[in-house]
Amino acid sequence: MTKVNLLMAYVPMMIEWTEKYRPRTLSDIVGNGKAVAELKKWAEDWGVDKKATILYGPPGIGKTSAAYALANDMGWEVIELNASDQRTAAIIQKIAGSAAQTGTFEGVSGRRLIILDEADNIYGNADRGGVNAIVDVIKKTNQPIVLIANEYYDMSKTLRSLCKPIQFRSIQSRSIIPLLRRICRDEGVDYDIEALEVIVTKASDLRSAINDLQAIAQGRKKLSAEDVVIGIRDTKGSIFKVMTEIFKGSDPREALYASYTLDENPEDFIHWIDENMPREYKGEDLANGFESLSRADVFLGRVRRRQNYGLWKHAGEMMTCGVQAARSQEPHGYTPYQPPSLWKKLGQAKSVRAVRDSIATKIGKHCHVSQRYARAELIPFFKMLFKKKECAIGISATLDLSQNEIAFLLDTKDSGAQKIYDSAQKRIMLAEEHAIETFGGF
Amino acid sequence: MIKEEIWTEKYRPETLGEVVGQDDITERLKSYVKSGNLPHLLFSGPAGVGKTASAIAIAKELFGEAWINNFTELNASDERGIDVVRNQIKNFARTAPLGAASFKIIFLDEADALTPDAQNALRRTMERFSATCRFILSCNYSSKIIEPIQSRCSVYRFRPISDGAIEKRIKYIASEEKLKVTEDGLDAIKYVARGDMRRAINALQAAAVLGKKIDAEVIYKIATMARPEEINELIEFALGGDFMGARDKLDVLLIEQGLSGEDVINQIHRAIMDFGGISEKTRVQLLDKIGEIDFRLTEGANERIQLEALIAHFMLAGSKE
Repeated sequence: MTKVNLLMAYVPMMIEWTEKYRPRTLSDIVGNGKAVAELKKWAEDWGVDKKATILYGPPGIGKTSAAYALANDMGWEVIELNASDQRTAAIIQKIAGSAAQTGTFEGVSGRRLIILDEADNIYGNADRGGVNAIVDVIKKTNQPIVLIANEYYDMSKTLRSLCKPIQFRSIQSRSIIPLLRRICRDEGVDYDIEALEVIVTKASDLRSAINDLQAIAQGRKKLSAEDVVIGIRDTKGSIFKVMTEIFKGSDPREALYASYTLDENPEDFIHWIDENMPREYKGEDLANGFESLSRADVFLGRVRRRQNYGLWKHAGEMMTCGVQAARSQEPHGYTPYQPPSLWKKLGQAKSVRAVRDSIATKIGKHCHVSQRYARAELIPFFKMLFKKKECAIGISATLDLSQNEIAFLLDTKDSGAQKIYDSAQKRIMLAEEHAIETFGGF
Repeated sequence: MIKEEIWTEKYRPETLGEVVGQDDITERLKSYVKSGNLPHLLFSGPAGVGKTASAIAIAKELFGEAWINNFTELNASDERGIDVVRNQIKNFARTAPLGAASFKIIFLDEADALTPDAQNALRRTMERFSATCRFILSCNYSSKIIEPIQSRCSVYRFRPISDGAIEKRIKYIASEEKLKVTEDGLDAIKYVARGDMRRAINALQAAAVLGKKIDAEVIYKIATMARPEEINELIEFALGGDFMGARDKLDVLLIEQGLSGEDVINQIHRAIMDFGGISEKTRVQLLDKIGEIDFRLTEGANERIQLEALIAHFMLAGSKE
């Protein structure tokens, strides 16, 4: 503790709190006790087990902090490389390779910790050889190496086999609160405990919680829950949080601003609202909600036709504020939101659609109509004709339908289609033989 | 030859004289055949009134046996973009006409499905090949065809076929197929056909699946069945307040059966016209909403969302019934 406070005296005013309050020692790390213990043991016994370790897990939960704190605790110098900054094999070889092999000026006891951040991000053409270089460095190193990654299985098998994996998990909201309290105290900000609770429930991880706190609390003497609700909107939210804001919130601006934080564009986002609105709204609310969504879709259509993306904002407003304003009843508790079923259905129906389209093409050609007309008007008619076996055989022969196509028109998967197909093919053969006999003389 | 089993094709007219119910037009078309030459033609009018039939009959009368080599049929709504149409036209027009013919005929159906830009490209294509090819364009609305194309064509407006002409043709087919159509059965066919000969013949053939005797009851039963059953189920779910059930049916129609949003709304429109169990006041209200959503389909980006809005409105109307 004292260590942290001493350091603070030299820190300029505008420094990010995530840096300012970055733990200096492993014992300051919030959560992930088991992972921290494993990491400590790996360092203390270094040389016995694997020479490198991979710290993996979701962003913003202290992986990099743990690596730095470790170096601090062990008295090691740090060389940090960011895989996504300098990703060529040459640079990794040059820096990590030399550091790994030469030791330090301070003598054998003083080691250097090589931290390679975003290690799951060294693929693609630009990184040709990048992974091989790291593998090479790890094999030859005489210094400890920490790789940091979000996705363990995004890394190559060889790379994984050379490293000791240590998993970092998301930190429970509850365990973040004590840290926020401490920061508030140190910054001289008075706070309602509810305000901190709102921050931790809305933030997706530890880092973003600290960032949110700084964004809202800086320049204030007191922090109320209300300040937080209004101030929180600039943080990046998940699509589920945004939907909660739209369907259960009561401030249309909140709903709109929440949607700004998404990576989804309105073309995709509208399908999320569309999918889940019927789970939230009933009766008149649902009708009014869809009225707004229908208007939003008209704006999307105009954007598409005129390539005028400035109009997107109107679509965005209708699908957030509009949908929220449609609600007249109290929102009910928890709603399990679903991703858009449309996309899944489109994938599943692929083969049925292919059969249907090939029938429509055959009918269209034969009956001099468009495929669209065949699909909408004639396929239902043909399905009716197929209720009579003799008729089904005759038409299957006329159009030379496949067994799948016959099954589609029969609405069946049983052997009926097979029999009709065989009879139709026989008929086609007979007709061909007859034609050869008739015109055989030519 | 394989026996023709589809009656609209089996009884398709061979000559202009056999084209039913458009006597004014067919008389004038016959004079082209007599002269052996043809201007570019534009046929406009609703479905099933003899546009394609007339085009094919002209080709058969002009070219005789060689008609199949000198006539090609393209559907503008099937081909993806004007480039495909142009390439097909180019390939067809490149070779000389067969037999005694001095030109070939390109029949472009649903030409109003082309955008104005695509129609301009089509106009240039027409000019390029006008020495060896005649174009017959067909469309539902001539107003959707750009002026420069209209002015290069002789325009013929086909009207819905009169009840008398439909009755005559249906009676003829019924006697050929050895069916007994009752008086009220004939009236029912004329009612469901609404001037569309293809629909009349299809109704007759579908009814024949159920038996040799065809009366009004059978025809109306067929007419409901000819609609995808999901349409009726969709409407029942929607009016009954089951949004998710209705949406599932909508997805079957749009995704599995591949109907366009316009197809679905047309089917719903027809079904609501005949739907029992709602007051006339509600029916009018639903029709009004159908009209609004029909318009938004042309303006919007996602047909499914627009049709869901319609379903949600139906639910509301159903709950107030």
